[in-house]
Amino acid sequence: MGTFDILAISGSGVNLNRTWLDSISDNIANIDTVRPTSEAAYQARYVEAQAVSPDAAQPGGVAVTGISLGSAEGRLSYQPDNPMADAQGMVRMPDVDLSEQMSQLIMAQRGYQANLSVVQRATDAYNAALQIGKG
Amino acid sequence: MSGISPLTSIARASAVAPPSGVTPSSTLLTGTAGAGSNSFGSALTGAVDNLQQVQNKADGLAMQAVTGTLANPHDYMIAATEASLNTQMTVAVRNKALEAFNEIMRMPL
Repeated sequence: MGTFDILAISGSGVNLNRTWLDSISDNIANIDTVRPTSEAAYQARYVEAQAVSPDAAQPGGVAVTGISLGSAEGRLSYQPDNPMADAQGMVRMPDVDLSEQMSQLIMAQRGYQANLSVVQRATDAYNAALQIGKG
Repeated sequence: MSGISPLTSIARASAVAPPSGVTPSSTLLTGTAGAGSNSFGSALTGAVDNLQQVQNKADGLAMQAVTGTLANPHDYMIAATEASLNTQMTVAVRNKALEAFNEIMRMPL
């Protein structure tokens, strides 16, 4: 356990939320990505997180263990004027719900801010401790 | 002498401290009579060594920031904050120890 572990722990939380924000922006950017029915649809990205158990080497925190992908089947949509449409006029749209992504965006943003807030408060507390006995 | 030797090792450790590579070699601390691995001197040398590592990490991230290869801006800010806090704490400990030493030296005999 180091002296300023809070900073490393909150830093891992900030990193996780940053990765989450990245995947959400990827999902929103690709929400209208159309694929022909012969191919897989754009697959939504979901971040997998896991708690890091504290030991001698690391103080704890959270780690991104991987990115899992959503449905490859997507939604079939009738768009006969689309150049990618098959003989039945169907194309494949990604199975991404915009309102769900927007709610997750808020959660990720708040999580990012909360972790940075912890960094800020910890710095203030440490600075106060370092002022003991001065002046 | 054993009462003062931790202080002399502080002075040595802080003299070598930030810019060049800190080598907490055993020669720095062999003067500490009867010092276990948890003596004040070795604790301080460990702190200086740790400070060196933290500073190096912040420096590396600063280099990434100016070359445009820094993936996460907060990584640098957190590392720089940690380096600053570590420096302040090491200096505070050194100052306190020197203060105590000076107080003893001013003792009328």
